Amino acid sequence: MDNRSELDGKVSDGVTAGSAPLISVRNICLSYGNFRALTDVSVDFFPGELVGLVGDNGAGKTTLIRILSGIIAPDSGEVYFDGQRITRFYPKLAIALGVESIQQTIGLCDNLSVTRNYFLGRELVRRIFGLRFLAKKEMRDICAKVVRDFGLREGIDVEDEISLLSGGEKQTFKIARAVSFRNRVIIMDEPTNHLSVRERGRVNELAVQLKQQGLLVIYITHDIFQIHRIADRIVILENGRKVADVLRDAMSAEELEEIIRHGGVGPRVP
Amino acid sequence: MHRFFRRTDIGILIGCIFIFILFSLWNHDQWFNWYTFTSISRYTAILGLLAIGQTFVILIREIDLSVGSVYGAIGIAFISLEHQLSVPLSAFLALLFALTIGLINAVIVIHGRLSSMIVTLGGLFFYRGLVYVSTHGGVSGPPREARLDWFNQLLGGHWFRVENGFLLLLLVALLSGVLLYHMPFGNHLLALGGNSASAESQGVPVNRVRIWAFMICSLFAGLSAIATLANDPQTSVSLGTGLELESIAAVVVGGTLLTGGRGTILGTVLGAFFFTAVRSEMIAFGAPPSWYTSFVGIALLLVVTLNTVLSKRLTAG
Repeated sequence: MDNRSELDGKVSDGVTAGSAPLISVRNICLSYGNFRALTDVSVDFFPGELVGLVGDNGAGKTTLIRILSGIIAPDSGEVYFDGQRITRFYPKLAIALGVESIQQTIGLCDNLSVTRNYFLGRELVRRIFGLRFLAKKEMRDICAKVVRDFGLREGIDVEDEISLLSGGEKQTFKIARAVSFRNRVIIMDEPTNHLSVRERGRVNELAVQLKQQGLLVIYITHDIFQIHRIADRIVILENGRKVADVLRDAMSAEELEEIIRHGGVGPRVP
Repeated sequence: MHRFFRRTDIGILIGCIFIFILFSLWNHDQWFNWYTFTSISRYTAILGLLAIGQTFVILIREIDLSVGSVYGAIGIAFISLEHQLSVPLSAFLALLFALTIGLINAVIVIHGRLSSMIVTLGGLFFYRGLVYVSTHGGVSGPPREARLDWFNQLLGGHWFRVENGFLLLLLVALLSGVLLYHMPFGNHLLALGGNSASAESQGVPVNRVRIWAFMICSLFAGLSAIATLANDPQTSVSLGTGLELESIAAVVVGGTLLTGGRGTILGTVLGAFFFTAVRSEMIAFGAPPSWYTSFVGIALLLVVTLNTVLSKRLTAG
């Protein structure tokens, strides 16, 4: 316990100075039946920051981002977005606020074309006699431009089914989509799983670019070494509790790994 | 060109052309005449309307086993109402009843977290039972004025020797195709069928789409019943029995995948035509009607296999 508060002490006091948090999570608890997925978790997230959210399986990372993307509501505790308390949790609200999560398995419909996936849920329409028709040409042109700008492989036809893209291309595409709809928060849930080394580098590069453009990037992973290279701050969850919240420069990847290995009550921090 | 061959309805298109040529060569006199085409178009319209509705539900990876009973219940409601109300009003109320049934099906599926197969199987028995109970096993046919009413004459009549019911099918197919492929609702529906979690994560109102799909399905079943009865007033309380499976067979043969997200309205209409044409030809040859049932099974397997083989070969190449 002492250790935890000590780690917390090093925290983001430095980061908070001067800027208000974009997302503030206060004393969140959530249980699935008897299983306590999150216990009293408080974290602040700031714009222009790349935060690594790390922890073993079942640590509560995914539950936390499910709350942030409006899929489930916490049992207790508060969530503030841009200073406003969020009282109802539903995906549409998260999207409206500009929070987009990029998950490994979710986000694309394989049966739809690249263009239809790009505009899914926010289709451009043309009104004819008051009826809303898809503005297919505009959508195709915009999507083709984004696909080009994000350096996806030449020769991708945006009218083809998205299932023709490789895993890395799909991830890049999801990021491209999230960015071009002027989102403010991009949550990346294990974005580099099952990707080749080169594709992984490309996705991480994109994450850093987004942060530099002033977006808040929350990057979920259990690869501490990978995230230590790119994150500004690292938050470690363990068994549903926050056990560390430290600036990247304050600790080495090895020290952070020790914390995870010892379930958060690891070796003394120098 | 490649994309053309990836269409799910390519198998049924080939199938329909094949039987059309086969029947024309093999049994030219009985097949290639207006009388046969008229009778085929009439039944294609009935089955096609039901199957188009079923397509919406199958595209979202659900199924509606209640359409045969809904068809019967709406038909009987329409005929019974004609005794007291004007024909257009009877049709309007009957269709409203159909929409309500679709809504109930969807709400039970969504909020009861039950499989649509179970819910609509319940519906199959319940609505058929409702017909028996409310009519005590029999209804009297529509009054003479109702038969001569402009509404029944319009739906049941013909235009330049083409059955109006068939024109209604074409109109409904066209509108459904536009809704499905040219409007945001269709994009949401296909996304829901392809991957519901992804659709939801992008803000697609998945439950609203589900509700509409079931309502459209019941509505078209009701429309099919009204079009049938406008043309040919019947009072049998077993009206529409077995149509649910025939409609599913037409959808599947038409290339729509039971796993959702992929399919076309054109394929469904061709599927309905395919079964109807073959049935008509079997009757022409004097084959016992029971053979038709076996044929549906064989055709289903053949066309689905053909579809799978074609799409595999063409996507690989």
